[in-house]
Parts: sequence; C-alpha cells; structure tokens
Amino acid sequence: MRTKKFISGVAIALLLNFLLENYAAAQQTTVDSALLDRVTELEKQSAYKKSGEDHFMVVGVATLGFAAYKSTNNLSGVSSVSKGNSFPDADNYEFSPMLLWRHGDKFLMEFEPSFNNNGLSVNWADISYFAAPNLIIRAGYFVLPFGTYAKREAAGWIDKLATDPMGIADMTPTDYGVEVEGGLPMGNMKMNYDVALTNGNQLNADGTLTSGNIVDNNNNKTVTARLGFLPFSNSSLEIGVSGMFGKVGNQASPIQNTKGNLYAFDLNYVKNFSPILLNIKSQYNIQDIGNVNYISPVDSSNYTFNNHTTSFFAQCSIRPVGLQGFIKNVEIAGRYTTFNTPANSTFGANQHSFTVGLDYWINWRTVFKITYDAYTGNSTGTEALNSFTGSTKTNTFYLQFSIQL
Amino acid sequence: MKILSLKKISSIIILMFLVLMITVMHSCKPSQLVAAKTGAQLWAENCQRCHNTPSPSTFSPEQWETVGLHMQTRALITEDERKKIVDFLKQ
Repeated sequence: MRTKKFISGVAIALLLNFLLENYAAAQQTTVDSALLDRVTELEKQSAYKKSGEDHFMVVGVATLGFAAYKSTNNLSGVSSVSKGNSFPDADNYEFSPMLLWRHGDKFLMEFEPSFNNNGLSVNWADISYFAAPNLIIRAGYFVLPFGTYAKREAAGWIDKLATDPMGIADMTPTDYGVEVEGGLPMGNMKMNYDVALTNGNQLNADGTLTSGNIVDNNNNKTVTARLGFLPFSNSSLEIGVSGMFGKVGNQASPIQNTKGNLYAFDLNYVKNFSPILLNIKSQYNIQDIGNVNYISPVDSSNYTFNNHTTSFFAQCSIRPVGLQGFIKNVEIAGRYTTFNTPANSTFGANQHSFTVGLDYWINWRTVFKITYDAYTGNSTGTEALNSFTGSTKTNTFYLQFSIQL
Repeated sequence: MKILSLKKISSIIILMFLVLMITVMHSCKPSQLVAAKTGAQLWAENCQRCHNTPSPSTFSPEQWETVGLHMQTRALITEDERKKIVDFLKQ
C-alpha cells in the first residue's frame, strides 16, 4: 500500500514538473515573440525616420513691452495735449512662432504666423529649393527684396530700438510669387542678388498702396530686385540697391496703366574696434506713383497731386563686447528717421523723429530695451480735402523685452 | 528676311542674361585669403552683420543644418560659408 502511494506521489510530482516546464517554455516563447515584434516595429520606425533626411523645428520671436506718450497737437487751429500709455501696441507686442521644415539638404519650408496688434496674421509662408551652390528658388508668400530692414533687421530680438523706422518697413511689401536669390564669392569681395516676381501693389482710392493681395488686381506682375555688394573680405560693409516696378491700377479701369516705381538704397557696416563693436545701418526709400485723377472725399470732384513718398533712416549703435562683466552686455543706440508723404493729398505730412535707446543683452538672443522717441509731424495736406493742417509733437517712452526662441 | 518681333528679341535677351548669370555664378571664386577662412572666422564675421553671434549650444547638430539653410536665404551668404559655419556650430 505504501509502495503504491509512493509511486503515485512520484508520478504526480513528475507530471507537475512536466506541466510547469512546458508552461515556462510557452511563456518564454511568448515573451521572445513580443520582443521580436517590438524590435521589428522599432526597426521599421527607424528606417522610416531616415535620420538626417527630414527635420522639423519650431523657433520664433516673442516681443512685449510698455509705451507711455505725451502728444502736443496744433491741428486745424485747435491746440490740444494728450497723454496715454498701454502695454501692447504695434511697436512692442508680437508673438510669432516660426516653423522650419527641412527635407534633405535641398528643400526648406518656412511658416511664421504672428499674433500682434493687428490680430492674427502671417509674416511669411514659403518653400525654398536650393537648386545649385549659390542659387535658391523660393515660392509662396514672402518679404520682398526691397532694402534690407524688413527682411533682416526688423525682428524685436535683432532691432536695437523698440520702434521701427517710419515708412521703411511699411514700404516693403510681403507678397505672393516666386523669387530667385543667392550669394556669390568674387575674390576678396562678395555680392548677392535677389529677384522676385509677384502680384504687386494695388493703388487705393486715396493714392496709398496695399500689398500682399492673394488676388491680383491686374494681369501685370511686379518685379522686385536687389543687388548687394560686400567690398571687404571681412564682410563688414554691405551696400545694396533695390528696385520695384509694376502696374498698380485695377484691370479695365481708367488707371489700369498707372505704374508704381520704387527704389531703395541700403547700407550696413558692422566692425569690431576692440573693445567696441560698431554697428551702422541706413536705408533710403523712394516711391513714385504715376499721375492719377483721384476723387475728392468732400465733393466727389477730381483732384491730383504728385504722388511721391520718401523715407530714410540712419542708425548707429555701440557695444563694448571686448570688456568683461555687466558692461559688455550693454548697448546704446541712436537713430534719425524722416518720412515724407505727398503734399496736397489727404495724407500728406513731413515727419521726422529722433530715437535713442539703452539695451541690456541677457544672452545673444534675449534683450531688454529702454527707448525714447521724439516725433514731429507737419501736415502738408489741404483743407479742401478735409485734411488736418498743422503739426504734432509726440514724445514716447518704451520698455521692451524680446526673445528669440 | 523675316524681322524678329520685340517679344522674341526680349526673350532672347532674357535667355542670354540667364546664361550669363549661370556662367558668372559658376566662374565666381573666392580668393585664397577668403577660401582659407575657418568656420569660426566666418561665424564671427557674418552672423554679427544682423544679430549677435549665436552660441553653438543653442541647437542640436541636425537643427543647425536647418537653421543654416534658413540663414542662407536671409543673409545670402554663399554655400561654402554656410557649410563652414554650420560645421563649426555642430562641433
């Protein structure tokens, strides 16, 4: 009896051992299979990623600040003084994330939406094809190559002062079209070229221009081109000349052949005179619109004027980058700006401003600015068109923080 | 003999201009002085034309490739300059 029980016990133990071993083996197979599946999936994902071939990144700029002003007006015989302040205004608030998507080393897509005082807008949305060593072909919605301020210097984390120079960026449209550009070595010198074909500006009823129109108002396209020349081997000086030529009138209207011709001259000089970094920038814009008979907002009669606009700025800043400690992060800047719009129009004015600023660079792309601007404007409009006549003086104090992310 | 129209003459002139531009672009060479410049030198000279010189640690090596293309379209530096500057920033 005991022997039977013993044999039964051994048999049960062997059976249990057999079952457990098979279960463990089955478990092991399941784990191995799951791991292999996961590895295969990761290999697929890794192959799909094609490291080094496609890349997406987000950068951008955030600028915020505070402005307080006092304005003394003597307009149409009435004198008044006004004061005000605000956190956001067009010169000191912007939140613009920029999306960059590089595909291989030949394609780059750029998209920069912007939230600012004008609401939500788009700064640029374009795709570039790097066709040859110094030949880039771009298409989409982009800043036109007219001068250099709007394309290179306007961002809050780059600009030394809290404000844009009057009339400079305003006369540089962003538009839909195609563009060809590049930089060329020329011995010790360099040059660069930039040519764009776009829908073009459109003439408003008062003689001003609008740009960035997704629907063209005529079948004529506008050509904008800039040539830049860097005469020194250290690239410290760049001088450029730009032109923009196209018809601005509506198709099948009496002004369909009216032309808008614009010219710009720019200068950029940056040189380290140790321990001081000297930075000089300047641009001069000219805008000429052909003769047009406009309709008076007062009595609907015809009137005309010489539609000629100019704007100019010269800016200088210095920063002791060669010194140590706090002082090397401090920069002082000054700028003179003039902006003259057509006399005898509804918006004619001779304007100029002096702007000075003190900046503290927290790091290479983060800056805190204190800016003071003294503006004077003298109207050159006519009372017959209900324009203001007289003058305005406005002094504005800005605090601004800007960061590139 | 048939006289060429103004449109055809314009097209020929534009074509010749394009051929000339392509020829110029291919024949343009930097001097030995410029060709010998390092990425660090070009970084110091070119970036500060518009903004402060960036810290190499700001972006990853792959991101610097993307930023390099973006900056080439903005500042119109040459391709050689862009490659040298990006190589320097990636180190």
